[in-house]
Amino acid sequence: MFQNTKCECGHQNHVGTVLCESCGKPLMQETLVTDEPLEMRYDGVARRSQKANPNLIDRIWNFFSSVKIAVYLIVITFVGASLGTIYPQESTFISGDFSTYYEDNYGTPGKIYQALGLSHTYESWWFITLLVMIGTSLVICSLDRVLPLYRALKKQQIRKHLSFIKRQRVAYEAVVDQPGAFVDRLAEQLKRKRYRVHKDKDGLALLAEKNRFSRWGPYINHIGLIVFLLAVLARGVPAWHMDSYITAPHGEAVPIPDTNYYLKNEQFTVDYYADDELPEALKGTMRAKKYETQAVLYACTASCDDPAAEPELTELKRHDILVNHPLEYEGMSIYQFDFDDTPKLKAVRPVLVDKQTGERYGPFELSMTEPETSYALGPYTLELRQQFMEFAIGDDGNPTTLSREPNAPAFFFLLKGPGLDEAGETYLYFPREVDKLRFSQDRINGDIADRFEIIVGTMENVELTEPTSFLNVRVDKAMPYVWVGAGISMLGLVLGFYWQHRRVWLRFDADRLSLGAHTNKNWYGMRGDVASAMQHAGITVEPKSLDNGGKNL
Amino acid sequence: MNNLLAFSGDAFVAAFFLYCFGFIFYVIAVAGRRWSNRDPQQHLKRWGRIAFVVSTLGLAAHLTFFFTRWIGASHIPTSNMYEFMSFLGMAIMIAFTVIFAIYRTTLLGMFALPLTIIIITYAAVFPQEVQPLIPALDSIWLYIHVTTAALGEAFFAVGFAAGLMYLLRVIDFKDRSKGARRQQRWAEFSLYVIVVVVAFIVTVFAFRGADYQAEFLQETLSIDNRGQEVTSSDTVEYNMPPIVKPYNSDVVQMDSFLGMTQPLLETPSWMEGVDAARKLNTVLWSIITGSLLYGLLRLVLRRPLGAALHPLMEGIDPDDLDEITYRSIAIGFPIFTLGALIFAMIWAEIAWSRFWGWDPKEVWALITWLYYSAYLHLRLSRGWQGQRSAWLAVIGFVVVMFTLIGVNLVIAGLHSYAGV
Repeated sequence: MFQNTKCECGHQNHVGTVLCESCGKPLMQETLVTDEPLEMRYDGVARRSQKANPNLIDRIWNFFSSVKIAVYLIVITFVGASLGTIYPQESTFISGDFSTYYEDNYGTPGKIYQALGLSHTYESWWFITLLVMIGTSLVICSLDRVLPLYRALKKQQIRKHLSFIKRQRVAYEAVVDQPGAFVDRLAEQLKRKRYRVHKDKDGLALLAEKNRFSRWGPYINHIGLIVFLLAVLARGVPAWHMDSYITAPHGEAVPIPDTNYYLKNEQFTVDYYADDELPEALKGTMRAKKYETQAVLYACTASCDDPAAEPELTELKRHDILVNHPLEYEGMSIYQFDFDDTPKLKAVRPVLVDKQTGERYGPFELSMTEPETSYALGPYTLELRQQFMEFAIGDDGNPTTLSREPNAPAFFFLLKGPGLDEAGETYLYFPREVDKLRFSQDRINGDIADRFEIIVGTMENVELTEPTSFLNVRVDKAMPYVWVGAGISMLGLVLGFYWQHRRVWLRFDADRLSLGAHTNKNWYGMRGDVASAMQHAGITVEPKSLDNGGKNL
Repeated sequence: MNNLLAFSGDAFVAAFFLYCFGFIFYVIAVAGRRWSNRDPQQHLKRWGRIAFVVSTLGLAAHLTFFFTRWIGASHIPTSNMYEFMSFLGMAIMIAFTVIFAIYRTTLLGMFALPLTIIIITYAAVFPQEVQPLIPALDSIWLYIHVTTAALGEAFFAVGFAAGLMYLLRVIDFKDRSKGARRQQRWAEFSLYVIVVVVAFIVTVFAFRGADYQAEFLQETLSIDNRGQEVTSSDTVEYNMPPIVKPYNSDVVQMDSFLGMTQPLLETPSWMEGVDAARKLNTVLWSIITGSLLYGLLRLVLRRPLGAALHPLMEGIDPDDLDEITYRSIAIGFPIFTLGALIFAMIWAEIAWSRFWGWDPKEVWALITWLYYSAYLHLRLSRGWQGQRSAWLAVIGFVVVMFTLIGVNLVIAGLHSYAGV
């Protein structure tokens, strides 16, 4: 390779310089042999990565400074990301066991999918590595180019080498009378187009430039993306991030895990659309219109960790939490996540009836969640032996419970009293009438069912639960940085795409005018600017005829 | 209120017809240049102006539809597939108008308008009633996020139209060399896909017009979260004759079609979901009618569609098309970033408590963004221009459409309310 990097104008250039940093003369051998328009990328300056004898660090730098590598990284990332959308990701479920989920639901392809680790694509080492590599590439690609480019644009020579001007993509040549006056007229026109015009001493060469800031757009965008990616990584810091779900039953202050806050659901309300508000296809569907939790946030001030004592709470904030309207308090946000408004039994007040005498004992308060261990009813006592929240007969033939929700509660009592067995007689009681029939309470109880009965009677003696609200509590201290990153990135995009850096060079050699112009985008606009300025300065030229061929970047 | 909604519906129909006429006038402007006794430039200019005025009237009618429906429904009409797709069609017209104002290329209308027409007729496939908002959508961000995202995508759509024009302009349909034939095949395939999409819309409306109905009872065996086998039966309704019936289903009722009284085939068992079989059936119908339509066009034109369109492109500068493709993508990219990613993240943070959750729709918006950033890097730093750049613009729009429609039809997720 030709290593003498000193230009004929006397400027000493760095190795790898394509166009002399001072006069713009093409330096590379391959660019000297043709008349093709010049490659003006980064103004032809040497990038940092174009070092003569790269060492290991230089090689790593060179790898990440390549746009080709960056594009490969982008392509691999989006192809990889698309794989993660084939089946639902594990993270979309709040909890659960995934050992057989994919195979059960999607068969063999599901099993393979999970085995390949695609069921958690976005948390996988390779995906995160790709993101980190993109981040590295962003930093290095930018530094590699922005510093030399800044240097080149900072000190531009006005009178450029003739071959530099002639080989611009927008070029024009002509013989003009009174060169000095023409330069003045053109300078005036370009100033009107908000160009900054520089003339050299003799007034026969000109450099007009506008919107140089738009060249920094891509780099500002990249800085924003780096801030964004770092902020996303920072969410991994445990103290910066919290995500928990709380169940808030009506009227109860529940602790928010890992904090000293308590949240009380004072009232949960849900409105559904009435049928006449719905179109034909949706009539009869329970379409929620609005649901909200009237919430109160408390701080615990004393006896917080003592299970025996009631915690002392101080009210901090009241807020009606709706979807799209979370409660915000000092960096913590509480979101409406879900609700359960199916009425469930909370308590019943039944009486014990002696079927033979017709005598009634009671009523007694039977809570579904906190029943007493025994109830004294006149001469009789009911001792609670076992309780089932959702009664079922298990595979082994023994009674069992399917959940901890009172969906089908059952109470297994021992009834003691006059005329009954010393050890007591068993009595299985289903508070819900449907369960009584479904599980044939009387048949299970046998003889005793003919003598005694526990009945609730009217609905007045039934207490139902209020709707339960499910809330999501989040702390995300990295969020401000995420938004700052996104904002910077957006600013860079706007600067880079909606303005273009345009330059016009002109020089006279005696009465021969050579004009060249360059823009980083939008050649149509560049040609328009030149043609219109020339028109007003006295030379009519079709914009399209200024096109010197070459690549349309 | 209902009067306003009815008026809004009429405005939509008016917009549709104005767009169709605008398209026809663009075709006259371009194809009529070589008719006898006229100056080609004069003809192009005159009819180009008529076409532009008519299609702009279409846009005005479309805007009328949009705002009257907004008032009538008291929320912005971008909350379901019908409303979103018709908004996208409108956004494409706006993007086209912006690009046209810059470049004044008459021919662009000949490609942008049919794209809009296809998209708004596709919108009409979906139920058109106003649906009241669910709480998750009841936010100012519905207005901001959806509209900006759609506008960004509309610029990508114009980039697609210009890219396709570029390809039809520069591909040499007489060249028999291997490379040229590959280009011709892919260009022809792209046009075939467009024909299939048109055929799909025509088929839907044809069977809807004929009021075709078939009904199946499908039994599905599944295991619930308590480990018990549960058999559920679902009714599946078809509006197209069943080439494939749902897996493990019985015919409840079926209109006969051309002597066909029984379904021909059964959907394979791995196609999950109640709607999977119906969607497969629709896809099969679209391919069949699309292929028939394509064959018919080939018979009438007696040559590949690309070769038939190629002469219409004469006289247009390919470099201009290349620049329009790039420029519309460059204009759309920041808008897309803002609408489909940043505003989306802000809304997700407010509504779903996290700014990013790898929901399929989010992932595909990111894929679209990464795809176009790869396009921009290839073009700016690697010098990919002309044909390669045009192909990227065409494929990019496929990615956009998959993000908008494919994700909702094929992959379920949090954005499912935007589905059928």
